[in-house]
Amino acid sequence: MAVMTSRDRVLRLLAREPVDTMPCFSGQGMVTLPAIETLGIRFPRVHLTAENMANSAIRSMEMFDFDSAVVPYDMCTIPEALGLGVSIYEEAEEILFPTIPEKWGTPEEVRIPSDYPQRGRMPLVSQAISLLKEKIGGTHAIGTWILGPFTLAGQLVELDILMKMAIKARTKVEALLDKLVDLIIDLGRHYREIGADYVNLREMGTGADILSPRMFELIVQPRLRKIFESWDSPKILHICGSTDLIIELMNDCGAEAISVDHKNTLSETRSKIGSEVLLLGDYDGFNLPGQASFEEIEQAVRRCIESGVDAVWPGCDIWPEIKSENLKAINSAIKELGRSPSPAVGRI
Amino acid sequence: MGKKELREELLKALSDGVVNFEEEKVKETAQKVLDEGLNAYDAVMNGLAAGMEIVGDLYDKHEYFVPELLMCADALYGGLDILRPHIKMEDLDQRLKGQVVIGTVQGDVHDIGKNLIKMMFEVAGFTVHDLGRDVPLEKFAEEQMRTDSEIVALSAMMTTTMMGMKKVVQMIKEKNPNVAIMLGGAPVTKDVTDLFGADGYAESAGNAVQEAIKMISRLREMQK
Repeated sequence: MAVMTSRDRVLRLLAREPVDTMPCFSGQGMVTLPAIETLGIRFPRVHLTAENMANSAIRSMEMFDFDSAVVPYDMCTIPEALGLGVSIYEEAEEILFPTIPEKWGTPEEVRIPSDYPQRGRMPLVSQAISLLKEKIGGTHAIGTWILGPFTLAGQLVELDILMKMAIKARTKVEALLDKLVDLIIDLGRHYREIGADYVNLREMGTGADILSPRMFELIVQPRLRKIFESWDSPKILHICGSTDLIIELMNDCGAEAISVDHKNTLSETRSKIGSEVLLLGDYDGFNLPGQASFEEIEQAVRRCIESGVDAVWPGCDIWPEIKSENLKAINSAIKELGRSPSPAVGRI
Repeated sequence: MGKKELREELLKALSDGVVNFEEEKVKETAQKVLDEGLNAYDAVMNGLAAGMEIVGDLYDKHEYFVPELLMCADALYGGLDILRPHIKMEDLDQRLKGQVVIGTVQGDVHDIGKNLIKMMFEVAGFTVHDLGRDVPLEKFAEEQMRTDSEIVALSAMMTTTMMGMKKVVQMIKEKNPNVAIMLGGAPVTKDVTDLFGADGYAESAGNAVQEAIKMISRLREMQK
């Protein structure tokens, strides 16, 4: 085979086909401040135009030798399109991601307008994916993500109300989740059609530090299954926080790749899920790129690989305020230490 | 039934009601405590708080999770709202006197952990100044100065908002290094706490409750 492109490397890994070395990529936001600064824009502006979104993703990818670019960066695009307000923090000096200031009071109040893909910043995300396809689609993988139904519901309805209703009035919560499942299926298909090579389903509000495994099995797992049954491969499920207690349930949702963060016990996870499933994780996206020494970086990457991941990737969004030399060192260590086969993926 | 037996029965009913998240039962029992002329502060500390202590253990053992904690918290508040106005002045002398400023930092609208720890501070007798959520960073320092609170408790559920806490710690410690600052939230670790110069942390709503329960347990022990 000729020289493997970044795109080949990511797609082959996600298809469990041999690669030359481990790709450096992510299914979460990985926009960086050093990249944004070279574009001459302020952080809040990266969320507001398709060009800023795509260009900041490409610049971050190029500066740090990632094999993919990922958009969008914030969790508010869908809630905003459904009719909720959004705080962008345009004047803030600190890095603040957009938030939803006021949510609906109950699940029954949530309405999904049929034209939601044309509302709010939804068109920007689609345009950004198309721009990525146009600019880097021949060489690099294009990633995107969508919140899982329970986590998305928590962006629409006050989380404490949602959680209590999951016990007291489960059918009302499930009715909302079902509506969101349909939305998520359609949106994931749409993103793939316009150029995304992979969609990461981020159901981060359902870890065992929040919901019981029983509740996960009862109201979350069936809906994740339905989503993955409806999507084409590759299928990635990400849950952060405490996942040791639910890893087998996660593995039974129909995803081909499971992504976890540093609170997961990777080696135990690998032995529980076997070597057929792709395991992605789990470096600390704040500490490693922003605080750690080079020695700690190499140790962390080595630990992930020795614990059985198929790709070392961040367990959450990479905190934008990285040290450039750290992120370069992380990706360099991944490529260097990732030359040997991983449990689910061989090497050329 | 003697007064002692009645007290024990009602305290147990309050505790069980919190554990089993039976809000109405807790309210009825709290009212009965008042009707029978029993001590309201005793009922809060040895009924409601004792129940929450069991809840904390259940969370630790992975038998209860955040939705259950929230249900228990509702039950506790049901009783607390009835009992608190009837706590006597002489009991106030025994109470842990203190003030705490609490809030979720700017950029973060998740307030479950913050509300749970607030509840535990209230149970313990603190005066709580709740700034709410998505709070501009300088507001924490201003409120601490205004109220002369001994504790400031900051919450951030996401890595993306955690950095704001560092600034708050700096602002407060510069002016008053004796203020105890607690950090809470999923991304918070001991390393982060040390790095930011804070004094304590809890990484989840459950841990926050556990930390507060330890504090209340010590208080209850001291009062025995």
